[in-house]
Amino acid sequence: MIRKILIANRGEIAIRISHTLREMGIAAAGLFTDPDSEALHRRSMDEAHRIESYLDANEIVRVALECGANAVHPGYGFLSESTSLSSACEKAGITFIGPQTETIRSMGDKLEARRLMQAAGVPVLPAWESNPPASEYPVLVKAVGGGGGKGMRLVQKPSELADAMAAAAREAGNAFNDARVFIEKYVTKPRHIELQVVGDTHGNVVHAFERECSIQRRHQKIIEETPSPAVSPELRATMGATAVAAAKAVAYRGAGTVEFILDAEGRHYFLEMNTRLQVEHPVTEMTTGIDLVREQVRIAEGHPISFKQADLRQTGHSIECRIYAEVPEENFRPDTGTIAVFRPPTGPGVRLDCGVEEGSSVTIDYDPLMAKLIVWAPTRDAAIERMKRSLHDFVLLGVRTNIEFLGRIISSRDFASGNLDTHLIDRNAALLHSPAGTLPIEALLAASLSASPATNGASSSFSNVWTSGAWRNT
Amino acid sequence: MTGRELHWEIDGQDVAVRIEESTAGGIFRFGEQNIPFTYISRHRHGGWVSVDGKPHEFYVLQDRGSHTVWLDGRTYRLERANKGRPSEAAELARGDCRITALMPGRILRIEVAVGDTVAEKQILATMESMKMETSLLAPMAGRVAAIHCRPGQIVEMGELLIVIEE
Repeated sequence: MIRKILIANRGEIAIRISHTLREMGIAAAGLFTDPDSEALHRRSMDEAHRIESYLDANEIVRVALECGANAVHPGYGFLSESTSLSSACEKAGITFIGPQTETIRSMGDKLEARRLMQAAGVPVLPAWESNPPASEYPVLVKAVGGGGGKGMRLVQKPSELADAMAAAAREAGNAFNDARVFIEKYVTKPRHIELQVVGDTHGNVVHAFERECSIQRRHQKIIEETPSPAVSPELRATMGATAVAAAKAVAYRGAGTVEFILDAEGRHYFLEMNTRLQVEHPVTEMTTGIDLVREQVRIAEGHPISFKQADLRQTGHSIECRIYAEVPEENFRPDTGTIAVFRPPTGPGVRLDCGVEEGSSVTIDYDPLMAKLIVWAPTRDAAIERMKRSLHDFVLLGVRTNIEFLGRIISSRDFASGNLDTHLIDRNAALLHSPAGTLPIEALLAASLSASPATNGASSSFSNVWTSGAWRNT
Repeated sequence: MTGRELHWEIDGQDVAVRIEESTAGGIFRFGEQNIPFTYISRHRHGGWVSVDGKPHEFYVLQDRGSHTVWLDGRTYRLERANKGRPSEAAELARGDCRITALMPGRILRIEVAVGDTVAEKQILATMESMKMETSLLAPMAGRVAAIHCRPGQIVEMGELLIVIEE
């Protein structure tokens, strides 16, 4: 029986987890670091404890023991997919809400994951240790221990392979302490489709359908939806069965995600397995009615999954937009500041998983994801209209955001057609900028009404965008 | 009625506007146009104003001379014109180029030394912010005239890091 759970995370996901715990009557204990001492998530818990770093597994377990929490929920990111927290919990006799350490380890090693999946009959892309046949180019060099685009290189021709492998190995060694790389067939117009799976300790595994996550910048998803416009009922059944086979192959426990690449011909290939709750899990919750966090907690307590495959239905359509503190017009550079005005959208079918409020500081210390705006509507077209309306209503001033950029993607013809792939943003560079046009006189009036009579001080000046290269995740 | 004149910098031009207002509304004078407006409501960060019978909701955030305006679902950025402002370019020899921090963050590496000749787009330094890193590139070919930062240093947005001269 779980009485108190330590949430080893921050921001919107820590708050989202605490919501379910409070509804379940389980005490929610939180963590905060010095830069987060006034953060919203600290105040959303039944109690919160100061730590040095969200990345120190031993410190987290020590706090759990001291505060009497008998389980730890890692959220996503930070230590959720590192074996250090799950094994430290195990040693201390604390329940880790997630899969077994061995599952995290084997799925974190891309080569081992490929081997296990192949043995379970899951389709994988052709791969090589070195020198693929010239006919297979372009190819992708990938880090064995990697993710998030780190240690990844696209190689167009054989003569460029050696340099690319050396560079990828160097980057992977720095980022993951594992310099191993391998070569995989490159899919030119890929869609990113993932399947939500849930497994329990009684050997049951079900899938909760797909999420399409093809709209990405810097290899990170920014818009996700379900159902995917590319997935027919037949393909859904096939991919669902494949995902369940993949999860069964590693005796998967808890909520997990099997990621696939869907090529232009509609063939799917295993990409990787995320052994945690996904950022984009709300779209699945909106269309199936499942509370995935509740399910995670129940499974960790040893209960069987509370539904059968045949009980699950997809109802309507859901879209999620990730609200980042960043400037799309300037290479998506992250921005910092204090939120002075915060008026989020409301209304039927609108959900906001949010880590900030008026007065919150967005600092350089953590990821610039502030909130996730999720909508539900009976059809995809209605969900698009609802998302447009909600983004239009979202006022957030004090830090630059991607809200208008998201609105331009959602309103684009490509998005409406459902003809998505991971290069949509690169192809539609015009979407990065506000449409050119004169400043409305009403905006000039609004600024003039609010401006103080005297000019005070020079505006700060900083260098042009072209002095910066692209931002990379570290 | 009280009146005031303001200057905005729009597309490099100094644009003068004049507001004559009472508590209920007033007249906005811009170029040859005289636009009457009525307040529906006002609050700390903006309000609701009626122009030509159409209501517009707005929020405005001031940061020194910069104004961010949210109006009807879109955001605009406006700068106050400041005629007395010493031009930054004037402080520098002609052709010099200042590389400043785009973001508050930490300097990871400096790839050049004072006196080095650099090519356009050559990496000068690498900085990290919010779990991301980026390279600072030379905006033009030239020679490194000065370096004002060191690896590991925390820098503020706009802080001068490197000067390149032609």
